[in-house]
Amino acid sequence: MMNRISILLVAATSFAVPACTSNDPGTGGDDTGSGSGSGSGDQWDQILGSREYDYNAALKTAALRLTGDLPTMDEVVAIQNAPDLAAKKLAYETKIRDYMARPTFTRQMMLFWRDTFKMGETAEMDAAPAFAAQLAVQNRSYLELFTATTGNCPTIDAGLTTITDANCVGTGPQAGVITNTGAMKQFFSNFAFRRVRWVQETFDCAKFPVEISPTPTDVGGAAPYIGVWPFQSISGLSTGRVNFQDVSAVVCANCHQSLNHIAPLFANYDIMGVYKPTIAVPTPLDNSPLAQLTDYLPPTETTAWRYQKPAADLTGLGAVMAQDPAVQTCGVARIWNWALGKTDIVDALQEVPTATIETQVANFAANGFKMKDLIYAVYTADDFVKF
Amino acid sequence: MKSAIKLTILVASLGLASACTDDSVDGAPPPSGSTSGGEDTTFDHMNDGISPWDLLDRLQKEGPPSFTSHMHSCSKVRYMTLGRVLTSLGVTQIGAANAPALSAADLYNNGDNAMGAPNYANRIRENIGISTSGASREFDIFAAAAPQIIAAIPTLDRCKTGGATGAPASLFNAQGQCEASGITCLIGVPAEAAHLELCNITVTSASTPAVGQRLAVAALLAAAYTCE
Repeated sequence: MMNRISILLVAATSFAVPACTSNDPGTGGDDTGSGSGSGSGDQWDQILGSREYDYNAALKTAALRLTGDLPTMDEVVAIQNAPDLAAKKLAYETKIRDYMARPTFTRQMMLFWRDTFKMGETAEMDAAPAFAAQLAVQNRSYLELFTATTGNCPTIDAGLTTITDANCVGTGPQAGVITNTGAMKQFFSNFAFRRVRWVQETFDCAKFPVEISPTPTDVGGAAPYIGVWPFQSISGLSTGRVNFQDVSAVVCANCHQSLNHIAPLFANYDIMGVYKPTIAVPTPLDNSPLAQLTDYLPPTETTAWRYQKPAADLTGLGAVMAQDPAVQTCGVARIWNWALGKTDIVDALQEVPTATIETQVANFAANGFKMKDLIYAVYTADDFVKF
Repeated sequence: MKSAIKLTILVASLGLASACTDDSVDGAPPPSGSTSGGEDTTFDHMNDGISPWDLLDRLQKEGPPSFTSHMHSCSKVRYMTLGRVLTSLGVTQIGAANAPALSAADLYNNGDNAMGAPNYANRIRENIGISTSGASREFDIFAAAAPQIIAAIPTLDRCKTGGATGAPASLFNAQGQCEASGITCLIGVPAEAAHLELCNITVTSASTPAVGQRLAVAALLAAAYTCE
């Protein structure tokens, strides 16, 4: 994920060079490494090391996030009057478990997932957030978001405290929330690309392009092709109606190498998010004709999550996503950022370096990707209770 | 070579050039930011990435992710959470349709847009960053809510020590001085000497004690709930 910030810093540098160039090559070298995480690590380590445990401050933040309410006076005093740090820690951790057992935790999870998915507030749009919230409340596996074939369209009451099991309607494949009718409707677009972007950014925590080769290829454009798929693995005008191999401006294939191998899987959902037996999304061509498989891929290609990670259908996509370590880590990073009050990991580039959450990621995997356990681990982590 | 890769990704990710075409188009790339479709292009690409300058500024001010990811950020109190906090402090008519004009409840009920509430119909999640409009509205709400809160604190079960039948909290004693119990209930963490000092200075510096108490409560609320 650090690559994303590096990319943007390269951007800033590349813009700055022509604007600030002087003929004196010896005047500009005093800022190497700034901002990208390199350099002056001691300064930041010292600040991190100077933090102290403050279980009352942590309790207030945890209460607001896990219950949506302030702690009561008794809850505050219980920690305040605990005789030592160990007792304060015990009182705090007991209260966190209490908070996560309350009905209000369901509501808070619902709000978190509505924000994460960018959808909700109608029965149709709440099914996916409600399913994700249910996984957290019931301490089920995060991977069910991609693999559940039943019970993945629960309903939630108006108070957002009671989730009721329900199967999804319709005849389409079932794979957690990535086949959710509301999501397919919310993110409808030409070629189903917006649905792919939603899946990519929500569950992999990164914008396209995401498959980057260490050995760029000259494809005749102003810049090289940087993808890992063969350049010819997506359609150009010889097989489709849109030239995804175009290099006249940007190299479209840098992103579309991945997009085009995923998007056909989502193309059978129509504008209402209803699954159809054939492709039901339009193209931006004149008169908006429906997309065809050959618009995305040459006949020799098959759909896939990533290069050499084929996915013949959406259940296959969910299965391969569930096995992707980046997807698993993304789930932890999103919970981490929520707990620590960060803005979005993708939209605002609030990245979480792997080293920061490696303990939580390892425990998450070892513990069957249980959501409630993960949330408890994050809210009791040293980084959460130190200020 | 690595720089070339990054620059290429950069150009692609920032969308500085045109969309993929349905016909080969020769010539120079269109101006920066020109990512919308047209007669010769076939797809409107998003062009809403974070500004590299904003990112650089943030990194310089806040530190690298290897540091900031370990620290709490100052996110605003979410809109719905703020409503419950106000209610739990004794503010009435939160969410009611007939709240008196310019009351705290009225300012809250009509402040969802200013305070960055979500707009899911347009695929917009709640903005938890602190904005000028959001903070201004929040402070207005606190100022308007102060009299209600001062009156309500002694009656609130949440503020009692020892359960619903326990000792009530109070923000001010009979002499008009600030009380730790009420401030603790107000801000959600144990009141410290600095809180009491700020509170008392605000009360005594105001034109009247009543005005001072309202200002003190609003100031404490603003300090406590600018960040969640």
